[in-house]
Amino acid sequence: MSWKKTLITEAKKLIDMYPEKRSALGPLLYLALREEGYISNEAMSEISTLIGITEAQVQSVATFYSMYKQEPVGRYLISICKSVSCEISGSSVVNKELMEATNLNHLESDEDGIFTIEQVECIGACGGAPAIQVNYETIENIKEGKVSELCNWLKTEQPKVINSDEIQNKFGGITSFDWGIHDNSGTTGPYPGFQGYKTTGERL
Amino acid sequence: MREKRLLTKHMYENPLDSHTIKSYINNGGYEALRLVLKESSPEKVLDEVKDSNIRGRGGAGFPTGTKWGFLAKEEPRYLVINADESEPGTFKDRILLERDPHQIIEGMIITSYASNISKAFIYIRGEYAKSARRVQAAVQETYQEGFLGENILGTGFSLEIVVHLGAGAYICGEETALLNSLEGKRGEPRLKPPFFPAAMGLYNKPTLVNNVETISAIPWILQNSGKAYSKLGVEGSAGTRIFSLSGHVNKPGNYEIEMGCTFREFMEDLGGGVLKGKKVKAFIPGGASAPWFTGGQLDVKMTIDDVAAAGSMLGSGAVIIMDEDTSMLRAAKSIVSFFAHESCGQCTPCREGTTWMELILERIESGRGRASDIELLLDISDNISPGLEWPPKMTTICPLGPSAVSPIVSLMEHFREEVELLIPRKISL
Amino acid sequence: MTEKIKISVDNKVFEIQKGQLLIEACEENGIDIPRFCWHKRMDPVGMCRMCLVEVETPRGKALITSCTEKVTEDMIVDTESETVKKAQEGVLEFLLINHPLDCPICDRAGECPLQDQTMEHGPGESRFIEEKRHFEKPIPISDLILLDRERCVLCARCTRFSEEISGDPLIEFTQRGNQTQILTFPDEPFNSYFSGNTVEICPVGALTSTSYRFKARPWDLKSNQSTCNQCSLGCSVNVNVSQDKVLRYLGIDNESVNQGWLCDKGRYGFEYIHSENRILKPHSKIENEFVETSWNTSLGQVAYRIKKSLEFKEDSVAFIGGALGTNEDNYALAHLFKKVIKTDNIYLSDNFFLSHNLLLGDYERATIDDLDSSETIVLWGQDIKETLPILYLRVKKAVRNGAKLVLIGPKTSSWSSLATLNITYKPGNEIEVVNKMKAKRSKEYKKLVELIEGRSVTYLIGKSTVGHSENLIEKFITYVREISKAKVLPLATKANILGAIHMGLFNHENNLLDFIDKARERKIKTLIISGTDFISNSIYSKELKDALTYVEFVVSLDMFSNDTSQRADLILPVTTLNEKDGTFTNIESRVSRQNQSIPVPGQAKSDWEIVNDLLEILSCESIGNSEFQINTELTNNIQGYSGVTFTELDKPSNKKGVIVSQKLIHQQEEEIEEEIEEEIEEEIEEDTDDYSLIFYEKLYGDKVMQRNSPSISFLGSSRHIQISPRDAKSLDITDSDNIKLTVEDESMMLRAIIDQGIKSGTIAIPINRRGVNHFGRYAHGKIEKISEGEIFNVN
Repeated sequence: MSWKKTLITEAKKLIDMYPEKRSALGPLLYLALREEGYISNEAMSEISTLIGITEAQVQSVATFYSMYKQEPVGRYLISICKSVSCEISGSSVVNKELMEATNLNHLESDEDGIFTIEQVECIGACGGAPAIQVNYETIENIKEGKVSELCNWLKTEQPKVINSDEIQNKFGGITSFDWGIHDNSGTTGPYPGFQGYKTTGERL
Repeated sequence: MREKRLLTKHMYENPLDSHTIKSYINNGGYEALRLVLKESSPEKVLDEVKDSNIRGRGGAGFPTGTKWGFLAKEEPRYLVINADESEPGTFKDRILLERDPHQIIEGMIITSYASNISKAFIYIRGEYAKSARRVQAAVQETYQEGFLGENILGTGFSLEIVVHLGAGAYICGEETALLNSLEGKRGEPRLKPPFFPAAMGLYNKPTLVNNVETISAIPWILQNSGKAYSKLGVEGSAGTRIFSLSGHVNKPGNYEIEMGCTFREFMEDLGGGVLKGKKVKAFIPGGASAPWFTGGQLDVKMTIDDVAAAGSMLGSGAVIIMDEDTSMLRAAKSIVSFFAHESCGQCTPCREGTTWMELILERIESGRGRASDIELLLDISDNISPGLEWPPKMTTICPLGPSAVSPIVSLMEHFREEVELLIPRKISL
Repeated sequence: MTEKIKISVDNKVFEIQKGQLLIEACEENGIDIPRFCWHKRMDPVGMCRMCLVEVETPRGKALITSCTEKVTEDMIVDTESETVKKAQEGVLEFLLINHPLDCPICDRAGECPLQDQTMEHGPGESRFIEEKRHFEKPIPISDLILLDRERCVLCARCTRFSEEISGDPLIEFTQRGNQTQILTFPDEPFNSYFSGNTVEICPVGALTSTSYRFKARPWDLKSNQSTCNQCSLGCSVNVNVSQDKVLRYLGIDNESVNQGWLCDKGRYGFEYIHSENRILKPHSKIENEFVETSWNTSLGQVAYRIKKSLEFKEDSVAFIGGALGTNEDNYALAHLFKKVIKTDNIYLSDNFFLSHNLLLGDYERATIDDLDSSETIVLWGQDIKETLPILYLRVKKAVRNGAKLVLIGPKTSSWSSLATLNITYKPGNEIEVVNKMKAKRSKEYKKLVELIEGRSVTYLIGKSTVGHSENLIEKFITYVREISKAKVLPLATKANILGAIHMGLFNHENNLLDFIDKARERKIKTLIISGTDFISNSIYSKELKDALTYVEFVVSLDMFSNDTSQRADLILPVTTLNEKDGTFTNIESRVSRQNQSIPVPGQAKSDWEIVNDLLEILSCESIGNSEFQINTELTNNIQGYSGVTFTELDKPSNKKGVIVSQKLIHQQEEEIEEEIEEEIEEEIEEDTDDYSLIFYEKLYGDKVMQRNSPSISFLGSSRHIQISPRDAKSLDITDSDNIKLTVEDESMMLRAIIDQGIKSGTIAIPINRRGVNHFGRYAHGKIEKISEGEIFNVN
């Protein structure tokens, strides 16, 4: 489906922020991700017209980066870190628990479209290993048992906004560093919550 | 030993609102900027930074003042802040981004003033969404306050800052790959020469690429003089540095210290010692790219030159402690696997070699290893980094290939028997 | 200035041009450094790492990629040290770990850089025992090209070619790391006019062509150099033959013309040569049926008619030609018609033909190489990406190196973004271009003058639409010669047109309309046709169809049955390219060799042979009994051609061809009329149903030679118009809707394609399709949307 006028206006504003159009390719892919939950072929066609490059070139960039999902993902993308600090701190146990709790493998989504899980590389929470992210909001030092709790909570509560302070409080342990003040900002879907790409929300 | 808080001072003293401009200004923030704009000159700022002897905090450790001096005269020029912190074990930039974004912004404005730059970007990895939100909110506050935009403080100097998100690629932390990514292309490193960012960077124009921590030190340097900064730390490793400690320690976290102490002192005094009082089997001094040290090297000093002389690198300042019960093979496999997944795929040795090594390690781990596998791993490593020297030579375009070799070399050098035990022996009757 | 410096490679000292790439410098001096990703004609990327060599630096020996390293004074290079050898073995082992064992079924085997370099530099065995990467294989990425991702070594030659050289980045890397693969976008196939080049430069068998797949092994092939004749550029080609069949064309690196590249039409358009539809015996029409006959009988008939025309001084013999043949063919035909039959009834069938004034006028000629040294390039004529594709590549290269491009025309094209300035005007208003240039009132025309005034400019000039007046073209040339250092290349696109004119054929301003009149007046009794299917292709096809009915005897020298030859009384089978020796004159007046690579099929004869036989029957002096002899004749007799004998052209130093200088007709000194300063009117959107029609040729059409080349036969079958988004909206048309085009009471159904480059009030129509071309006579037409259920017959 082609992009609505409002979306195109938003896209053009992002393009104007950069000295060259092509630099806005990344941000526009985030808009596409926000609209459809993944990068569809139609979205790539739209973006190619807006920026003035071929669809093959858009596809080339979109598939290079792991956060631009190429297949539809569930409402909650749970990413578990598998890099060395988390690995030596027991991330494989957490991973197993996650796979059992959701009955999914790496990059699989469930039929109801609620969960997608993935194993990712270092998310910068090594001081709170093992760590996971839900829609790119971090939970540090998630212990055995807490993962299934998290999955249940997500399934039943179906929060509209994922806020890191909230989920850290509920399911996390120690943190890499003092997070300071809690805030209510978070993300509204399986993409990073960022004001610039209108993907944020406020937890009520 | 204790922490010496320069960059982390404000955030620890004002935990409730250190990220707001109000708090930042109330605690002396943007004073350095005012001073610079009213009383200094671009040349003077450059001299201060040169005097400070500060070296890049991203991993390469290049003297920052020298880097600024290399920037070509052609216009337009750009400043790009590398906030794509993805080196396993590292989370020091994250605290600066989340807790004290204005320090970074002030550093950016001063840097841009000193180098005649009017457009700056800060490239934040997509997984650091919260950090990106904090930075963006701070940028907005700064515009409102009048420290960004046209004619800042009536001096005629103008600066625009754009916050740009990455999308999950470690290789974009390499400066030329970052520039490619910022240009809307695949994050593939460029050939150097000719694409040195100082001459041909963003859109082939002169570009300064600096790490978050480096740029965060600029306000302090300008406020307290470069000389004062150079007096901190030791020769060759001036100033303070935030080290990220993780792994099997009691108190993992970020610690800002004057450089010069040993790893043992750092781990025991600040890190609370090894978890459950166990012994250190091995530790990584500078992030996943660095060769490992064993427990016997805990007394090496935490400076760029000492660590280099001891056969590794201080790199991104990430210290990962592995205790006596750690499976070294699994640790090595985790790191090799990281590089195999993050390889951009441009050049043959890295693209094929890292995956091959990952597959061999998987096979060994699952009990299907062969006696020839150890030599094979070392030979593959040699084909990526000829001679297995330190500092490494490379047959690849960028250092990611040789980084993948570090754990293999360390594994075979110090823990070969452990690997051999996993390889089934033929039993002859 | 080529400054020379000294470097030492493997203990030998060489003098090298400063600033050259090390790998190229070594190659030129006999040291072959293995490589995959480096290609002489593209920017180096240093990706495969195969070309690593050791170079002395102040810090000891360093391994560097020789393809990215420029030579410096006193450089010391070692290409054979142990470190280098290990690195080479390492890279090859890495490439082979995921490479499938496809050699027995792979087209590339036998001419494969991966095979060759593995034999030369590779490890003896592979130590890889894991599972290789697997992809679905092969997958078609266009009608012409298949992709096998398992074989791909990710050298990026194909993607770099598509982006850098041809400007069609339709294939690109996707994913990253060890999952990296080449792909097109779904539903966007690799429909580039230059896609065949990627097959040629791919160092493995990842890209293969449907045309050549599984046809032969390289050791079965015999190679012969020749010149393509699908357009007037005359690209140098390597003709690969096996068992007397032409199987494949490869590009030859002719520095001055095609630099190694070929367009797909030229590359795959030879397949008609072996079509089973070829006519190989003379046929005579008896009671509306074609019956085989003999050469003796047929030529006897023709000679008889010629004799009668001469005897009774009727001047009733005429010739219509298409300029396809060699210079030798055309020389013979010119001799026959001008010297023996002594007639002026010689006509060229070419919808976009430029006048002789333009083609041979007295102004400074540009060569293609001049593009590289021009400050500005101005193109006002056909879309060269469609009609002279390799010239478009040369223009693109010049622009990449800093030349400024100006495109003038009634519509913009797919590659207009390459231009610094795009000027459009309504078709029919060509006069305003020169006027506005002189007036310099509007911003874009000021810019145009700025870009050319006082600068060295190459002008590529032709007819931007069928109705483009040659008069106006001449006025433009006259004006720009005054204000700039101008070199002009007239865009005569049809094959060997310049050669034919130089040979004396077609050297009047005869128009096919003259022929039509004469025929209707029954002044033409015998018509000989060679190398053209004008009933299918000419804009006058309707009138010509009618005119032919007045001609008593029509002889068609042709290879195939087509709308024209079907109307003949006698079909004489002729040879084509590769079946005869000869020379070819290209658009720059560059003469090059065409070689015979396969035997003459059946009873076909070359045009010159037919002429020779007729001369014999007519008891006239022969002009030569072989191509060699005719070539000797023409080089002796045609002004400027003395240096282009077969022997001369076969010399290695003349491989690029030889430019012949021409000083034939002098342009009549036309008075440069004082142009009255016209009021430059604002473009008022006229409220009329009539659209101005722009007829242009696309690369692929449906001419008989293309129809009989299986690989490309369907590529030109689409009949469509291009319409502006605004007009489409007002007519309620969406992309690919069917519309009705009505011109002078005749209607036709065509598909509508919405195109941003079309100006409102104009329609662009690809003309080289049967049934469409005769509309080309007219300048205006009506467009209506076709409602559901309406069907139109295409005539």
